[in-house]
Amino acid sequence: MLKIVDLEVAYGQMEVLKKINLEVKKGELVSVIGPNGAGKTTLIKTIMGLKDAKAGQIFIEGKEILGMPAWKRAEMGVGYVPEGRRVFGNLTVEENLRVGCYSLNDTKKIQQNIKKVYELFPRLEERKKQLARTMSGGEQQMLAIGRALVMEPRLLLIDEVSMGLMPIMVNLCFKIIKDLNDQGITVMIVEQNANKALKISHRGYVLETGNIVLEDTVEKLRNNDVVQKAYLGG
Amino acid sequence: MLLQQILNGIMIGSVYALTAMGATLIYGILRILDIANAGAYVAGAYFGWFIYLKTGNLVLAFLFSMMITGLIGVLIHRFIYAPILSKPRILPIVPLVASVGLFTLTGDLARLIAGPGTKAYNVDFGVDVINIGKLTVVPAWILIIVLTALLFTVLWLVLNKTKLGLAWRATAEDADIAKAVGINTNSAMALSYILGYGFAAAAGIMVGILYNSITPALGEVPSYKMLSIIVLGGLGSPVGTVIAGLFIGMVETMLSAYNLTFIPKDSVAFIVLILVLLIKPSGLISKTNNI
Repeated sequence: MLKIVDLEVAYGQMEVLKKINLEVKKGELVSVIGPNGAGKTTLIKTIMGLKDAKAGQIFIEGKEILGMPAWKRAEMGVGYVPEGRRVFGNLTVEENLRVGCYSLNDTKKIQQNIKKVYELFPRLEERKKQLARTMSGGEQQMLAIGRALVMEPRLLLIDEVSMGLMPIMVNLCFKIIKDLNDQGITVMIVEQNANKALKISHRGYVLETGNIVLEDTVEKLRNNDVVQKAYLGG
Repeated sequence: MLLQQILNGIMIGSVYALTAMGATLIYGILRILDIANAGAYVAGAYFGWFIYLKTGNLVLAFLFSMMITGLIGVLIHRFIYAPILSKPRILPIVPLVASVGLFTLTGDLARLIAGPGTKAYNVDFGVDVINIGKLTVVPAWILIIVLTALLFTVLWLVLNKTKLGLAWRATAEDADIAKAVGINTNSAMALSYILGYGFAAAAGIMVGILYNSITPALGEVPSYKMLSIIVLGGLGSPVGTVIAGLFIGMVETMLSAYNLTFIPKDSVAFIVLILVLLIKPSGLISKTNNI
């Protein structure tokens, strides 16, 4: 589904990602964990097309996507839930979801997909006429996920879903991500909350200062001494 | 007479708002100050003058001038601003300098092609003035107020009731995320230029009719007055721009009507701007609570 080969990304002279290799297979749920500043968000932005790569290749379903604008990648079925939610605060909940459907042209399909999101998050339907910025952090996170879901992504990129949320919301978000994956959506999550992320994933990568230092199934990662000490508080 | 001055103020304010709207729409999406918007005002006035001279039809003059100027705007974005803005880590001053260059170029092209002199803008409305009680109304004023109201209604409908307008509002708020959810942000930019430059063209024709003349230097005062209006309106807010334009128009009219100006009329916009920036730096309407 997603294959990254020798990806290098830099901000000016500063190398943020150094020859990253990573793969997410169809139907998988993969986490990338690592400390603050390791380059996790940069990685996800580069896949989405919001940050240019210096070298390397990114393939989605076998097709090279580097150089493609972000909206083309979205049309190809890449959904994005950004760090810090970034809902359109001056638009209503419903308008946010309609923006998410922008690349769809079939009105009936748009309504169907929005309805599906409302079924998943009844809270959003209750507030559909409300401006997004007046909602709580948890509700905004639901909206950010919903906005990515309405265009039926085949690959969902999720950046720090737990950030700034109450524990109960964090659990709900991870449960929903797991459910979405069970329904067949391939998911890659980037997360500081390693414990929660590894619980729902199939495989994990550990990213430290721009390098992938570990890659394994979650069972093995959870039993790894280094991971336990550094990320799981063991 | 107060009512007369209020009417005057609304009329002048409408033209100001219309002139500045393009700069607001462009700032809203591209985050650049497009001084060349005042060039569109000059170009539009000349196109309108030429079409009216050839056809004698004012509707055609407005329609075609707005269309041509709007399309030129799209081309300017495509071939000048877009390449500049696509460079990594570009300083905001670079597109600004480009826009000043374009603005100067427009005035000089007008001088080269149409000549340096003043062109008369004789539009015949059939009647010279209409008297309603004590109120004296020139037909051009009615045209200006009605047409501005119409254009702003169209703008409101486009921004709030169409798919492209939704894309515009999303892009104005967060261009990166708009791209990532599938919006081709180039279309929102093209919309800004078509409407913005088109509106500036209409404003140029209106001013030509109002003062019965155009010169290549027509855009000089609007080029800086426009800036104070868009800042006052809260940079990038269409509603704020309408309010700020009307406000400046009204203040200018009142001060000069009641002989309160010991200073030149055109400096009023800046005094108001400085006061507002001192008291409420986010502008009259801050961006967070409107489109």
